[in-house]
Amino acid sequence: MDALEKVLEGFVERCNKNPRLIAMNRDWTREVAIRATDTGEAFWIRSAAGQLSAGKGTATGPADLEIRADRDVLEAIFSGQMAPTEPYNQGDLLVRGSQDDLLRLDVITLMIWGE
Amino acid sequence: MSAPWPERPGCPHNVLKASSEPKTVVGVSLGSSRRDHRGRIHLSGVPVLVERRGTDGNLERAVDLLRQLDGQVDAIGLGGIDRWLIVDGERYAIRDAERLVAAVTQTPVLDGKGLKEVWEPRVIDALIARQIINPEDAVLMVSALDRFGMADTFYRRGFPTVAGDLIFAAQVDYPILSRAELVRLAKHLLPEVVKRPFAELYPIGAEQDAASDERYRRYFDAAQIIAGDFHLIRRYWPNTLEGKVIITNTTTAADVEAARARSAKWLITTTPEIDGRSFGTNVMEAAVVAVSGVTPDHAAWAKTVEDMDIGFGALLLNP
Repeated sequence: MDALEKVLEGFVERCNKNPRLIAMNRDWTREVAIRATDTGEAFWIRSAAGQLSAGKGTATGPADLEIRADRDVLEAIFSGQMAPTEPYNQGDLLVRGSQDDLLRLDVITLMIWGE
Repeated sequence: MSAPWPERPGCPHNVLKASSEPKTVVGVSLGSSRRDHRGRIHLSGVPVLVERRGTDGNLERAVDLLRQLDGQVDAIGLGGIDRWLIVDGERYAIRDAERLVAAVTQTPVLDGKGLKEVWEPRVIDALIARQIINPEDAVLMVSALDRFGMADTFYRRGFPTVAGDLIFAAQVDYPILSRAELVRLAKHLLPEVVKRPFAELYPIGAEQDAASDERYRRYFDAAQIIAGDFHLIRRYWPNTLEGKVIITNTTTAADVEAARARSAKWLITTTPEIDGRSFGTNVMEAAVVAVSGVTPDHAAWAKTVEDMDIGFGALLLNP
């Protein structure tokens, strides 16, 4: 399995085991498109009924949220080695979507990995 | 507070000249102009004409009004927006508010944070002493980050407290269950959040008159005490609040009736009722500064507020 795909699977698995995040996301239905800008590869995360899923390839529906960064940055963010704020502030992470969705992603990463 | 109030151009001293001359204070709010009001109060025997002027969410209008008032009144309140969020001693400047404050160079501008930090904890303790509330009561603070002094008091006195900042400001259905979690989230999220347009975080202008949205009513149902910003309470409160205590301010006569109609038991306003309504903490803080000459960054601030004893409102709506 692709390393980033594995990282994303680990990310969604942690979310899906966290009762408070399950409750938080129960009404959050979203398609998140992820693009590694250096390799051009596409990945996706889907949220529905409090459960997340992830995979490699293009999202099946129109993306509500788009995340773009180099592959190593994406791996660092979704594995908890780096808070999204850091590359975002440096311009190494581009996110397109609603501010509330971005905030939610921040909360998710904080809840599963802490500071 | 760990950090001093920043010095401002044209206002280099934190103790202004105090006198017993009548004072004039105007609160410039980003809120709805439908809630405008004026009244007269006496603080330490000094008459103060207090007035609130809403700018309907229009930042440019607010800047123009602030410029007009600069040097013309004794103190200016800044309402409908926070200048800073202060959480556990850390201060986070709200970008839109900085723009507004920059329009004023001569007159002190107060956003109410000094009263929220010092006065509102005293109100909570007074309510406990009067047995209007007790530490077994579950609390819903619709927003705790803008009223950390009150939230901190609830947590420290042992009230089971849910902070709804993420729920009501960002529609992220995540109840914050402890002081530690609140501080942790604030440290992580606020550095970026405060850069967002304030209108994305808080109902301003006509949004303040929007009909109630009951999607989060379970949080109201689970609490005995509903506390925090009134516009957020009003925007999300359900049609019944039977037996509950509301702790807030900036309420109008119509708001009082709306709370009464929902069968709430008590309406507590952390600032006193003046001619049928309670002004925001920003206006009252401006009045305290105008009369005392002491600004919130001064070491004498807490004692000044305590000595002035501005009072609070306690209205038994449904015995």
